Amino acid sequence: MSSISTQIKHLLAIATYGLLFAASGSNAEDAGNLYNTRFDINAGLKYFERQCSRCHGFDAKGNDETGAPDLTGRLSRASSDVGIFNIIRTGVPGTAMLPVAADLPDSQVWQLVAYIGSLSTDPANIDLPGSVVAGSRLFANKGDCNSCHMIDGQGGRLGPDLSRVGERRNPEELLTDILDPHQEVAPRWWTMRVTDNEGVTREGLRMNEDSFSLRIMDAESNLWSYPKRQLASIERVEESTMPSYTQTLSDSEVDDLVAYLFSLRKEN
Amino acid sequence: MNRSIALLAPLFLGLGLTLPVLAQEDEFQTVITPAFSPVTWERLINAEDEPENWMMYSGTLDSQRYSRLDQIDKSNVAELEMKWSYQIPVIDRAETVPTVVDGIMFITEAPSNLTAVDARTGRVYWRYDHELPDDLRICCGRNNRGVAILGETLFMSTLDAHLVAIDARTGNVLWDTEVADYEAGYSKTAAPLIVKDKVVTGIAGGEFGIRGFIDAYDPATGELEWRTYAIPGPGEPGNDSWSGDSWKTGGAATWITGSYDPDLNLIYWGTGNPGPDWNGDVRLGDNLYSDSALALDGDTGEIAWHFQFTPHDVHDYDSIQVPILADIEYQGSTRKVMMWANRNAFFYTIDRATGEFLEGDAYASQTWAQGLDPNGRPIRVPGMAPTYEGILVSPPIVGATNWYSPGYSQQTGLFYVTSFDGEQEFFKRDEDYEEGERFTGGGGRYNQPMDAFHSSIRAINPATAQIEWEFPIMPRSSAGITTTAGGIVFTGSADGYFFALDAATGEELWHISLGARVHAAPMTYAVDGKQFVTIASGNVVYTFGLKDD
Ligand code: HEC
Ligand code: HEC
Repeated sequence: MSSISTQIKHLLAIATYGLLFAASGSNAEDAGNLYNTRFDINAGLKYFERQCSRCHGFDAKGNDETGAPDLTGRLSRASSDVGIFNIIRTGVPGTAMLPVAADLPDSQVWQLVAYIGSLSTDPANIDLPGSVVAGSRLFANKGDCNSCHMIDGQGGRLGPDLSRVGERRNPEELLTDILDPHQEVAPRWWTMRVTDNEGVTREGLRMNEDSFSLRIMDAESNLWSYPKRQLASIERVEESTMPSYTQTLSDSEVDDLVAYLFSLRKEN
Repeated sequence: MNRSIALLAPLFLGLGLTLPVLAQEDEFQTVITPAFSPVTWERLINAEDEPENWMMYSGTLDSQRYSRLDQIDKSNVAELEMKWSYQIPVIDRAETVPTVVDGIMFITEAPSNLTAVDARTGRVYWRYDHELPDDLRICCGRNNRGVAILGETLFMSTLDAHLVAIDARTGNVLWDTEVADYEAGYSKTAAPLIVKDKVVTGIAGGEFGIRGFIDAYDPATGELEWRTYAIPGPGEPGNDSWSGDSWKTGGAATWITGSYDPDLNLIYWGTGNPGPDWNGDVRLGDNLYSDSALALDGDTGEIAWHFQFTPHDVHDYDSIQVPILADIEYQGSTRKVMMWANRNAFFYTIDRATGEFLEGDAYASQTWAQGLDPNGRPIRVPGMAPTYEGILVSPPIVGATNWYSPGYSQQTGLFYVTSFDGEQEFFKRDEDYEEGERFTGGGGRYNQPMDAFHSSIRAINPATAQIEWEFPIMPRSSAGITTTAGGIVFTGSADGYFFALDAATGEELWHISLGARVHAAPMTYAVDGKQFVTIASGNVVYTFGLKDD
């Protein structure tokens, strides 16, 4: 998904920093990524599948068990191509993230950087149809999204904080979030229906579950904690508590919301 | 000081002197354990008669992980309290099962280190740090699972594919043998097994196109006594189950400790996946003896029989589970069996004298086979091999279970296994073999969060292969199981609990949150007449006991 504008930037980078880069060896300086063509991204993908996917997943979305993070959104340890290069080159000390083989050429590390870069959508490269300002208004007013979601400290607690949602969801995913919230509900937001040994049934958001206990929050924001051995049944309600907006919002209103949500990042 | 003794050690041995005596006379020597009675082969055969000691990875040669200790029982297990904890200095995940001899505990640590501590207090006697190259080829973290002991010598595998012999009193190296070339993708993580006067050990590297084998070494010198390849060479039976030259890079690693039957004089050892894992096109055929149980002659290593669980595997269903041996009532008579809950989601009861398949059934969710035929061979569901686009199959790559030890109780006659009902999309890729590089031909991805899957401890009746009870836990535990004469099953969970279940009913008896994933199996021992239970969680080794009165 490297757009034309990125490619132009890279041509410029070659022109400006080419010499500097040539001298920089393994310790990357900010010369930009010179290996960012479609071919490079594909080569990076191949290498990633072979060497990195066992921890980060075949889709680079991370893996709970290995502790390897999702690489498709904003990274926590790097904010630039050089930062990513250095992580791959040197690893993250004290973690399972080991450096790549010392004899792996820089060009191949850059191809990995290009591949990882291709997984997230750079807002500078994208032109969305909706209006950020209109979306912001909809969010608080007609959409009533803020009764459940918080942005910069304002709003409800019945859904995820969206202050930086643009870093983790791309416009396509945001569209699905609004139109079909039931498609993919993160475990933290599952609704659980439990019946205890006395026959009392309660329903609420799954605040925490482990092998021996379960805590839910009901619609009145009461927290209920149970040792599992006191529960006769535990059921998961598959739907999201967030309603779908296909009927209540027009296409252009949804576009506005997507534009607004995608603009929500740390920098703003 | 440690180093100078290491240099002198061979000299002392050569003179026929025992190192500990000399070391004890050195008044500045702080790194010596108290004396203990040397662990003879006789003691190892009868290990179950001295339950105060845990003298090998699986407790006893039959690997039941059943301890006769019964001071901690169903009535008082809820009163367990922590006695001590030991923090492993190198951060990685601890898969260690400590060994205990006469109140001294030996703990293996990441990356390939070993420590002796006082089993009463957890205080350190000595530490051995194995020097490693910085370009290791390891698939799955810097682990070590335990040691073997014979006489006063400990034997340990290291990540650079060496086998080291270490003086148990001082931590000094006696010998250090290269088992295979780490640069070609070989590594070692499992505890060796003592069989008579030999150290038997396997090899890891199934994701690097190695050719697996099982070796036996002379405990005194570290010299290789025999090697049995898990993939037959040209002219040997089974070599034709690999197309072309694929046998050369066919994997079949032997990365978990096996078991031994002294009466039959047979060693039982599991083998791993054929390589490349997810692309079977380049290795047509059954791929013997990948994903198999091998029975080897205890003196020569010759293969007496084999049983292949997953012929032509394309899902990475390693059969490296620890074989559990027991004599059970089966259809009206006592049979010498081997029990095996496989990564492929099927449980098997096999006659361990002959390799004859007796019983088998799925014990966890699976979609790849319709069932087992009368010989125990899986009847495949067509179209479940990995594809370029991805195909959903259960169990996922990590398997319905994996390397973590199952257990068996002599009281209940039940087999216990940590099981996972998951599924995953499997992908196939074309890859060329390059020495020392990963050679897997694909991979997998989950399309649901881990919490959406189901996990449990399952108790299986080996005479029927049917599940008797299950205890649900959060997915996906990689903890092993230990049973005791106190009627208890001890195990752990992915969310950091250590807990005790009633071995007969699966009822919860006790649990404690240790705060980090349990990647290891518990073990139990006694010192000064007091029973303890030990488990590693995260990077910490915890020991529990009853309140002192
Ligand atoms: C053995 C497992 C493992 C393998 C293989 C692995 N990683 Fe990682 N990776 C991790 C873990 C764990 C972290 C998180 C480290 C931390 O910050 O605690 C990580 C972090 C990262 C990060 C930083 C993410 C962030 O949010 O800042 C990048 C980038 C990365 N890995 C890229 C790669 C690439 C490229 C490869 C293949 C060359 C690779 N990894 C192979 C386990 C692995
Ligand atoms: C009744 C409470 C509720 C209302 C009202 C609500 N949401 Fe949600 N929303 C949730 C919950 C709960 C989730 C998490 C579960 C899920 O993904 O469905 C969620 C998830 C989301 C996500 C995905 C966030 C992420 O981090 O993955 C977005 C984006 C979102 N909502 C936007 C909106 C917008 C825009 C509106 C208003 C048009 C809205 N929500 C109204 C409860 C609500």
